[in-house]
Amino acid sequence: MFRHRSHIVTLAFLCVVAIGSAAFAGDSAADVVDHSGITHGAASGTWMEVVLFYMVAAVAVISALGVCFSKNIVRMAVWLFGALGSVALLYFMLAANFIAAIQLIVYAGGTLILLVFGVMLTSKSPWAKFEPRKIEIWGAAIVCGVLFICLSLLLTRAQFDTTISSVSGSSIADIGRALLTTYLVPFELAGVLLMIVMVGAAHLARQEK
Amino acid sequence: MNGHTYEIFLALGVLSPFISFWLLVFFGPKLGKPWAGWCAVILGMGVPLAMASIVLWGWLGEDAASRAMLTEHAFRYHWANLGTVSILVGVKLDSLTVAMYFMVTFIAFWIFFFSIGYMSGHSDEVAGKSKYHRFFAYLSLFAFSMLGLVLSSNLLFLFIFWELVGLCSYLLIGYYFHERVPQYAQMKAFITNRVGDFGFIIGLMLVYFQLGTLDLDDAARIFAEQYAAGTGIFASSFTMFGWSLATIMGVGLFCGAMGKSAQFPLHVWLPDAMAGPTPVSALIHAATMVAAGVYLVARVFRLMTPEALMFVAAIGCITLFLMALIAMVQTDIKKCLAYSTLSQLGYMIFGLGCGAWIAALFHLITHAFFKAMLFLGSGQVIEGCHHEQDMRKMGGLMKKMPVTGITFLVGVLAISGFGIAGTKIGLGGFFSKDEILAVAWVRAFDWDDYSHHEAGAGGHHASVIPPIPAAEDSSNDVFSSEKRIVLVSDQPHGDTHTTSVTPHGLKPSAHGGDAHGRAGIFSQTPTLPKWMFYLALFTAYVTPFYMMRCWWMTFMGKPRDDHVHEHAHESPMMFVPLVVLAIGTFVSSYFLFRDLIADAATQATIAPLVMATDGAIHTTAINAAHSWLIYGVGGAFIVGFAIAIVIYGRGLGMASRIKRIAGPLHTLLENKYYIDDLYHLVWVKGCMAVAHIARFFDTWVVDLIFNTLAKLTERLAAFSGLVLDQHGVDGIYNGMADTAINVGDAMRRSQTGRIRNYVLFAVGGVTIIVVLMLAYWGVASPEQTVAMLAP
Amino acid sequence: MEHIGLTHYLIVAAVLFCCGIFTMATKRNAIGILIGVELVLNSTGINLVAFDRYMGPGRLDGQIVAIFMIVLAAAETALAVGICINVYKNIATVDVDMASQLRG
Repeated sequence: MFRHRSHIVTLAFLCVVAIGSAAFAGDSAADVVDHSGITHGAASGTWMEVVLFYMVAAVAVISALGVCFSKNIVRMAVWLFGALGSVALLYFMLAANFIAAIQLIVYAGGTLILLVFGVMLTSKSPWAKFEPRKIEIWGAAIVCGVLFICLSLLLTRAQFDTTISSVSGSSIADIGRALLTTYLVPFELAGVLLMIVMVGAAHLARQEK
Repeated sequence: MNGHTYEIFLALGVLSPFISFWLLVFFGPKLGKPWAGWCAVILGMGVPLAMASIVLWGWLGEDAASRAMLTEHAFRYHWANLGTVSILVGVKLDSLTVAMYFMVTFIAFWIFFFSIGYMSGHSDEVAGKSKYHRFFAYLSLFAFSMLGLVLSSNLLFLFIFWELVGLCSYLLIGYYFHERVPQYAQMKAFITNRVGDFGFIIGLMLVYFQLGTLDLDDAARIFAEQYAAGTGIFASSFTMFGWSLATIMGVGLFCGAMGKSAQFPLHVWLPDAMAGPTPVSALIHAATMVAAGVYLVARVFRLMTPEALMFVAAIGCITLFLMALIAMVQTDIKKCLAYSTLSQLGYMIFGLGCGAWIAALFHLITHAFFKAMLFLGSGQVIEGCHHEQDMRKMGGLMKKMPVTGITFLVGVLAISGFGIAGTKIGLGGFFSKDEILAVAWVRAFDWDDYSHHEAGAGGHHASVIPPIPAAEDSSNDVFSSEKRIVLVSDQPHGDTHTTSVTPHGLKPSAHGGDAHGRAGIFSQTPTLPKWMFYLALFTAYVTPFYMMRCWWMTFMGKPRDDHVHEHAHESPMMFVPLVVLAIGTFVSSYFLFRDLIADAATQATIAPLVMATDGAIHTTAINAAHSWLIYGVGGAFIVGFAIAIVIYGRGLGMASRIKRIAGPLHTLLENKYYIDDLYHLVWVKGCMAVAHIARFFDTWVVDLIFNTLAKLTERLAAFSGLVLDQHGVDGIYNGMADTAINVGDAMRRSQTGRIRNYVLFAVGGVTIIVVLMLAYWGVASPEQTVAMLAP
Repeated sequence: MEHIGLTHYLIVAAVLFCCGIFTMATKRNAIGILIGVELVLNSTGINLVAFDRYMGPGRLDGQIVAIFMIVLAAAETALAVGICINVYKNIATVDVDMASQLRG
């Protein structure tokens, strides 16, 4: 039953994310097409944007809190999936389509699967729980709570000099051009890094003789 | 010989046994059983004997004047200062020293020699470790000390060596320290000697304070001067027991002699000292060390007042009488000889007290020879009889031990004063002991006539003292028919080197003050109480009795114990010394020693108050009226021997009958007059009683006070410690320490080693920074935030 | 109806950040800690993209850095999971409190 309910929850979130992302993607693309000029922004102004934002933000927050308070590692992974998906939606809302796509592919498709495999490989029982001490929980809660309140205060009182670019310059071609010109060195370094990580991970995970 | 040759030889003779002692101490165990003994014989005594022989030979070659010169210029070394008194180390070189030195070395040499044979038959192992070498080390140390004592020119050094011989005596008595009896005996000897030495020290202090010197010759000179001038010690009005300070000084010095020579009240240690090995008994407790007391009295003779000398005489008289009686009932052969020694020492002391300086010292030397021989003989017997000391189990040993028996008999004859009255034929005591009696007789009976005659004839001038032969003339004439009073000059040596009394030296005017004039000597010197003479005379009859009894029980009659008799044998190693000493007894009776002592008397006996009397009485009649004395004394041994043979000739039967008849008397004698028991009661028990009282006092008075004080202190301490310290001072410090620990603990706890905690801390730090930023900018001033964050 | 602005995104990011921190600080499972890290990284990603969108018009710096961030996160996760598997091989658990062999 426990397991059953977790499945339902998981499926429900998947549905939300899928629907949301599809709708927003369509809307965003339309927006780019419709308002090709410097205005308030791609998604701004519309009630749809506000509703979507709050919906996605709620999913993200709830998922994050779910990650926080889950005792079960598998459930945490599921909540994380929700969080990652909602973050990807937020990227879409920020007109960073490429990043959003990468987020979904790499995170949700790669990293999360990697984590789930990790859970599978390292747990005698996927339901094994390791409880921290109470004081740690309370300490963490206080610190995080205070931090969040302070950050919120700072952010709400900050006056950002914001200008929305009319050019939703998040075309993949632009990013590719930037990566291979301005950010060539980091790009190459990232490639080297990935290779090193690949070798290292293979080495770490190899069967000991 | 000239210069300091004599002193050098004598000193070498003292050093040699000292070297031997250290050799034996360090290398004794390596030398092993016979060789350690030979080391002591050769180095410890052979060399001193050789030195003594050389010195004696040279000394006999000197005439009187050069002897006096040598005495005068004897070696002195300034050693130290005691306050204003300088202590001079030196050699007292005179005829007495030479004679004593030779006697000691000669006898000791043969006893050392005997010891090798004796020790070879004795087990010398204690707990698996041989102490053979130790015996000879002690003997060597004794030789060193005794010779040093003889040589000392200074009372302080004399005292030091005196104590050293006491130590050696202690060590040697306790040679068998693993047995009970020697332990007690050595302690008894040592403690008893301490009592005497206490008096000696008092005497020494009086000499030091009153005469201002510790040198023997200087002391005598100053003493005479003070007497003449009525100053110094004679000016003191202090009296005790009716004695003047000068008398107390003399008595104090004599107390030392009482301890060492075992005189009456302090005699108890000597019989017990026989628990030591027999050679030790012979050497120390018969021949030499016990003679040291007599030697001391002879040396300090010049510091004695008539009263002091009377005390000396009384003590000697009591000793000689009482001890002779005890000797009659002893059954232990060594104890018998020990009491005989005590009695003979009493004779010597008595002789000195009477003024028979020459006779007493002569007796000392002859006695040393024959008593050493007797003891060695007894050692031979005991050794031969399987360590049996009880004479009742002996008897008939003559056949088994002829040499021992004959030499023992020689000793018995010598001590008994065997001789033919009116002739020069005699042995040992016939010359020496009987001479003491003769002087005693003069002092007791003839003294008034004699002294009045002498004093009156010349008024107060000493020049009227009857012809005093010069030493070189008279010294050989032992049996001179003349009655002589040797009253030697007290003048400083530098004045004239006269060897005979000169009127000049005795002039009272030379010292001023006729009141204490020299001529007053005779009138001041009291008549000897007659009982003293009678006791001494009676003892002269007792002595042959107990000695013959001893000899007869041991060597004659029928064997009373088959086991002992069968075992009896002689060993040649041990009878050689016996024979040599027997010959020595003959020689010493006739030759050499009496001359030397008479010579020493002329040199050394400066007697301001008393005279040294030389009585050669018993050989020739002084006058017809007293001719009975000669036979009475000279024939004593016949009576004594006869009684002894009558009683013991046919076994012990008659003796036991007499014992029954004289029951209480015998019991009294057997228990030694209960003196030991008295001492035990008074001193040991007394000490215990005092200790008990002291303990009671301690427990109930002192302890109570101190316990109360202790309780109080404890309470105070508890208050200060528990309340103040623990809760106050400690509280502060413990608090500080605890705080430090707690803080440290708290700090330590943060270092959990868990990454997630560190993450939290890092974020906590960030949070704090954020909070601070908020606090700094203020929640309500967004403009500044803008300024901060604007690009 | 208000505009959705930069602040909104940042606040969502802050929520994610705090939740990530909380997860890291309270989970004993190594994988759980990794998940917390992912949350934190995602919050930074939101920040980067949001700042790029609202404060750097015409430039792609934020997005590029976000790409690198995602790359690094992926690499980090790969390595961390490898490490977790190795830890599990060694101590038969992924409880980080048990992995204390190097603790002084």
